[in-house]
Amino acid sequence: MSVDHKPHPKPAQYVQIALVLGVLTAIEVALYYTEDFVGVFTDPLLIILAVGKFVIVVGWFMHLRFENSLINKFFTGGMILALILFAIVMFERAAANFI
Amino acid sequence: MSDSHSYPHEPTGVETRKLGFWIFLSTEILFFGTLITTFMIFKGRDFPGIKLTDVYDIPFTSVSSFVLLMSSLTMVLAHNALENNDQEKTRVWLLSTAMLGAVFLAGQIYEFTEFYHKGFELSSNIFSSTFYVLTGFHGLHVFIGVVLLLALWGIGQRQKGLSLDGGMNLEFVALYWHFVDIVWIVLFTVVYLI
Amino acid sequence: MTKIIEPKKQSNIFKRPSSETGIWSWITTVDHKKIGIMYGYAAFFFLLIGGIEALLLRIQLASPDNNFLSAAEYNAMFTMHGTTMIFLAIMPISAAFFNYLLPLQIGARDVAFPRLNALSFWIFIFGGVFLYSTFLFGTAGAPQGGYLAEEVSRLGSAPNGGWFGYQPNAGFKYSPGTAMDYWAIGLQILGIASLVSAFNFITTILNMRTKGMRLMRMPVFTWMTFAVSFLLAFSLPIIAIALFYVTFDRQFGTTFFLTEGGGDPILWQHLFWLFGHPEVYILILPAFGIVSEVLPTFSRKPLFGYPAIVFAGFGIAFIGFGVWAHHMFASAISPVAQAGFGLSTMVIAVPTGVKIFNWLGTIWGGKLKLNTPMLFSLGFIGMFVIGGLSGVTHSIVPADTQQTDTYYVVAHFHYVLFGGAMFGIFSGLYYWFPKVWGKMYNEALGKIHFWLMIIGFNLTFGPMHWLGLQGQVRRTWVYAEETNLGFWNLIVSIGAFIIALSILVFMANWIYSKRKGPEAGFDPWDARTIEWSIPSPTPVWNFSKAPEVKSLDDFWHMKYDEDEDGRPVRKEGADALLAELEEEGLNPSEEIVLPNPSYFPIILASGLPFLGYAVIYKMLPLAILGTLLILIGSFGWGTEPLEEEFMEDLENE
Repeated sequence: MSVDHKPHPKPAQYVQIALVLGVLTAIEVALYYTEDFVGVFTDPLLIILAVGKFVIVVGWFMHLRFENSLINKFFTGGMILALILFAIVMFERAAANFI
Repeated sequence: MSDSHSYPHEPTGVETRKLGFWIFLSTEILFFGTLITTFMIFKGRDFPGIKLTDVYDIPFTSVSSFVLLMSSLTMVLAHNALENNDQEKTRVWLLSTAMLGAVFLAGQIYEFTEFYHKGFELSSNIFSSTFYVLTGFHGLHVFIGVVLLLALWGIGQRQKGLSLDGGMNLEFVALYWHFVDIVWIVLFTVVYLI
Repeated sequence: MTKIIEPKKQSNIFKRPSSETGIWSWITTVDHKKIGIMYGYAAFFFLLIGGIEALLLRIQLASPDNNFLSAAEYNAMFTMHGTTMIFLAIMPISAAFFNYLLPLQIGARDVAFPRLNALSFWIFIFGGVFLYSTFLFGTAGAPQGGYLAEEVSRLGSAPNGGWFGYQPNAGFKYSPGTAMDYWAIGLQILGIASLVSAFNFITTILNMRTKGMRLMRMPVFTWMTFAVSFLLAFSLPIIAIALFYVTFDRQFGTTFFLTEGGGDPILWQHLFWLFGHPEVYILILPAFGIVSEVLPTFSRKPLFGYPAIVFAGFGIAFIGFGVWAHHMFASAISPVAQAGFGLSTMVIAVPTGVKIFNWLGTIWGGKLKLNTPMLFSLGFIGMFVIGGLSGVTHSIVPADTQQTDTYYVVAHFHYVLFGGAMFGIFSGLYYWFPKVWGKMYNEALGKIHFWLMIIGFNLTFGPMHWLGLQGQVRRTWVYAEETNLGFWNLIVSIGAFIIALSILVFMANWIYSKRKGPEAGFDPWDARTIEWSIPSPTPVWNFSKAPEVKSLDDFWHMKYDEDEDGRPVRKEGADALLAELEEEGLNPSEEIVLPNPSYFPIILASGLPFLGYAVIYKMLPLAILGTLLILIGSFGWGTEPLEEEFMEDLENE
């Protein structure tokens, strides 16, 4: 409906994006099994991969990067607020239990 | 919406329904955020009884995660087909999305029953409770999504087919479906892999 | 004659409702004004119930060692008083203002999603009825180690674990029976109502503004609605999940908040106050908005520092998310958290102080007209400052540890929520009375109401400060003679009855003036914002054509110029302009398309209580019935267009 958005990708591009997502998932599962080799890097890597997949689906499949920036602000705002609030709760609970 | 009258609309340039729907999705982040936080807080704790890691079937869950991920692809293809007003293709992709969603749900039901038989019940310990409530809440979202997809597919059987204007159209079902998918992307990592 | 054109009657499940008067026109309405009025009456009804509960509490506490209420009844009454006042009285009465005024203030014909608006209202009604049905169907047994089972009853079984539902006290062990389940699920349903209306208001404000109504030209009340909607949208999901956990703990044997199963009762407090503190601002910000409309009108000056008030509002909303743990200083939270939340609590006083100075700046040097709305607004400032100051004392952790669970806290939040929110709301009720009904309220009765209320209010809640500091514990049904607390408690109880008397005066005024009051005209206050540029009572179509806004306080600038000293000078053509506006407002020259009434919002909403009962009593047929109602509602809704297609009906003219 909105007039001024950039053109959405073509089906072929969607398939390519899905392939990337599939490969990332494969890497994730592989990381799970190679935890003994990768060691402490496993969890950060898994988080980075999940964030990557998240951004790809939101940006391309949900067309967020083609939308008006207002929508982007809402979604990112909600995301950041949730991250801050829940990080505080988690740290507070961890700290309280540690003591 | 009839525009026979001169009343102005949408000074932001974003379609009203789309704006409303994205705000809804933004608040859904807080729903799942609360559930995930609870899960994380209880994850590091000692608890009696059977452990979650004892019952996981990672290859199985990986496959069902992949299925859900690919349903996002079929969903976006359905959306794309409707943008080009290709009713036939839209219906095909819609139905395949609903099917993939149903496969994921069937997988989850299978997983839950397996866990249950291994003695991992809702109230076995605090960790099993958080697991079932978190993944179950997501499963409920997938279920609603499948119902919406099938409803759209049914409406698409009519003579005039689907369109991108009016009420809860394909665009919003698609947004909802992708959102359910990104939640699972996070859950797969947080619940199963880490 | 109007030119509203008759729709072609279509039908999907039912014939489209078409009555314009009578009960069906109210049940099926999607008009924001009618929904607003219904919100107002429903909320006032619950306000009366909550008030009666408070009076029962005060009778019990009027003398030491009293036996008027049993411990069990006292618990039920203070729980229901808090829950009712917050969720069923102040929130919906604010929603009444949002609904009625928001579209008028931004020059819109309705909200963005009219049927969703009706849905919010009906979910609220069904949620309230569900919650109160506990008196009929609920049970509240005797807790382990608590009072005796035979004490429970007389008033029926109501939730008794406090409006905050602290765990494990509100769990199945210490609050057996179904009453607390009614509470948890009732709040869940009410939360859905507020969440839906929050989406609706945010989109309405962003997308339904009329020509020229830039964000920084919106009235402050609209801004505060905007801020409240964000608070609702981002805080309600948290409590929704927490209430799910409570329901699971009580019904399905999980232990989310029970230590014996590895759960964490402090997590409940975190999740509850993550919602609960923004909730405080959800209750008070609408009153901020109302006062910011009333003060400039009756000071005949523009609002002092409009941008500052707007940004302070959002500052409060934002920081309001970061202070929740100051409700938990007496709980086992880490010292770092105590320090951090103590600091953020001090910080939030800053934007609040900014607002106070803005209001004082507004009335400073103004030509004050001390009629009822203005008196309530001035009362608001005074009472809110007292409540705000006692609030800041809670940010000092050691002091707060002393004050926790005493009447000092009760005094504080009543000064904020009654002296603040309710005074603001009464101010608004009087201020917009002529707009809604087209009649003028009785000024003398209004003033009697104000003076009775402010005297009664201070008698009730003022002494609680020192009662609390002397150690009277809240949420306790009785105190001993030897504590010497009896005198001030008696004064407090007398004050409560003076408040009740003032409410009776208000009701008499309302009922009388609505019927017999003098005609108000459409701009009785010589007001500033565009809702006063249309006839009173507001026509169904609001604005006969979309107004074009050229500045902040647009309506004022249509009427007044400034002389070189900045004093307002009435324009020569002002009276003629007003006459023209009224003529135009009553006789729209263009075709008007309004959303049609619908049965489906109420049908959809009626499914939710059945789902609630199904969870409590584990009865599948009820669940099926509830789901069916929701499905029928959604299906009918989805297949019914918002506005029917219109046929030109030429005979109408």
